[in-house]
Amino acid sequence: MSSPVIQTEGLSLFYGDFQALRNVNFTVMEKRITAIIGPSGCGKSTLLRVFNRMNDLVEGVQVSGKVLLDGQDIYAPETDLLALRKKVGMVFQRPNPFPISVYENILFGLRIHHLADKRRGELDRIVEESLKSVLLWDDLKDRLANIATNLSLERQQKLCVARLLVMRPEVLLMDEPCSALDPMATARVEELMQELKKNYTIVIVTHNMQQAARVSDDTGYMYLGELVEFGPTQKIFTTPRDKRTEEYITGRAG
Amino acid sequence: MPVRYKLKEFLFETIIRASGLASIIAVGLIFFFLLKEGTLLFQTQTLGDFLLGKKWYPISEPPGFGILPLILGSLLVTLGAAIISIPLGIACAVYIAEVAPPRIKEILKSGVELLAAIPSVVLGFIGIVTVVPWIKSTFDVPTGLTAFAGSFILAFMAMPTVVSIAEDALHSVPKIYKEGAYALGATQWQTIYRVVLPAAASGIVAAVMLGIGRVVGETMAVMMVTGNSASMPKGIFYPVRTLTATVAAEMGETVQGSDHYFSLFAIGIVLFVITFAVNMTADVFIHRRRK
Ligand SMILES: Nc1ncnc2c1ncn2[C@@H]1O[C@H](COP(=O)(O)OP(=O)(O)OP(=O)(O)O)[C@@H](O)[C@H]1O
Ligand SMILES: [Mg+2]
Repeated sequence: MSSPVIQTEGLSLFYGDFQALRNVNFTVMEKRITAIIGPSGCGKSTLLRVFNRMNDLVEGVQVSGKVLLDGQDIYAPETDLLALRKKVGMVFQRPNPFPISVYENILFGLRIHHLADKRRGELDRIVEESLKSVLLWDDLKDRLANIATNLSLERQQKLCVARLLVMRPEVLLMDEPCSALDPMATARVEELMQELKKNYTIVIVTHNMQQAARVSDDTGYMYLGELVEFGPTQKIFTTPRDKRTEEYITGRAG
Repeated sequence: MPVRYKLKEFLFETIIRASGLASIIAVGLIFFFLLKEGTLLFQTQTLGDFLLGKKWYPISEPPGFGILPLILGSLLVTLGAAIISIPLGIACAVYIAEVAPPRIKEILKSGVELLAAIPSVVLGFIGIVTVVPWIKSTFDVPTGLTAFAGSFILAFMAMPTVVSIAEDALHSVPKIYKEGAYALGATQWQTIYRVVLPAAASGIVAAVMLGIGRVVGETMAVMMVTGNSASMPKGIFYPVRTLTATVAAEMGETVQGSDHYFSLFAIGIVLFVITFAVNMTADVFIHRRRK
């Protein structure tokens, strides 16, 4: 059995007066894929954005309760926000490589964290390694100088993963990473996720229940800001305890 | 479709096409007139003497129609204005687009618009009573009516253009780029200079070019503060004379059909070409951005 990497205790979140998360107790286990499912607007993205504190960018957000990463409360005042985001990487719904070269996209993280003052050969090696680990090296090795925003969406999304890997993160957060991709590309990104699971802990938000069933080890079902049910994916999809979960999974709600 | 509608549509189309055509014809006629009058100068002068001659003595005997001092005067004043307004304008745009809280942003934006609304003669007037004496005392020069004074005032005139267009370019950088940078652990400053500025680069270049275009063609304020000396400029702390100021100052007192008269039209052609080139460059960058 692996150990918990992220744990929330009594987590609530308000956008101004609106409560988007209600007393959420959520656990993410090491080197597993944890899926968050639920109807639109139930707070999936909000919960995901708690883990790297991207919610901090929203005006008027109030967070209460505890969010532990490796046992440390990430909302504690002494938390180093930039180091947290280096440790907990995020992939977005719409692929968002920067409009610069593939090469510089990959090194972006190292440059901003001042870890790139290495020799050119060393940087080349880092770029190659990270592209290999997202299965893009053969496609892109001759196009490292190309502008990344001209790539296909699938490659852009994989590049966004590669861009995280150079920083040696612990956790990868993925917010509907395949919703902009066609079924073939989706299948290949799911394959990549299984590959990444060997070294990283992954949390994925998805609208697609089949996807959650296919890729994840644990699943949480959210409804109106509440974490209704959480457990091994197998169990959630075959023998849900809560009626609301059952209704959603069998397609009678959401 | 009923005939009534067809007729209406035809009418609209014709009107719109006609007004579009009219503006093109107007530009064509202006340029043609400029060209016709301006080229008459070259019956007595060579193009080389005109562009590279160092003596602008249009009413002496024998006259000199060399506009090099005027070109250099314009260049000097424009360059100075660019050096002041580009960094200031971009910094201001970044502050408005990325840093300022909403209230201050609104105030600054209206402030910039207000700056654009100040008539150029008023800026020139303010320049004469404030900037000119300030330059004279601060830099210990015989007169404050210098190229630098022109640059200073023109920088203010270019600012609104540079700021508003650059701000627009920064504002239209997709939010997902910024989110991506923040999620990688970038600071706000890193996000701005590594992601937002490069993503807005072509729009910013366009902003700068349009600002410069505004400066090159400006006349009134410049005429008031640069001292109007048509000799070869010796530096930014000396009086100079720009192309525009020359035309404005001398057009009233020339004899129609004289070489002097034609030479002012020829200066007009030079100005037209410069402004056209600057605006075309801006256009190229604006289109690159839209792509
Ligand atoms: N910045 C914000 N300010 C105010 N309310 C917000 C903000 N972001 C999200 N919300 C609200 O919080 C709730 C949860 O939003 P969230 O984006 O987390 O939902 P979601 O489950 O990810 O939905 P979707 O499946 O559509 O992506 C929604 O009701 C939404 O309207
Ligand atoms: Mg969402």
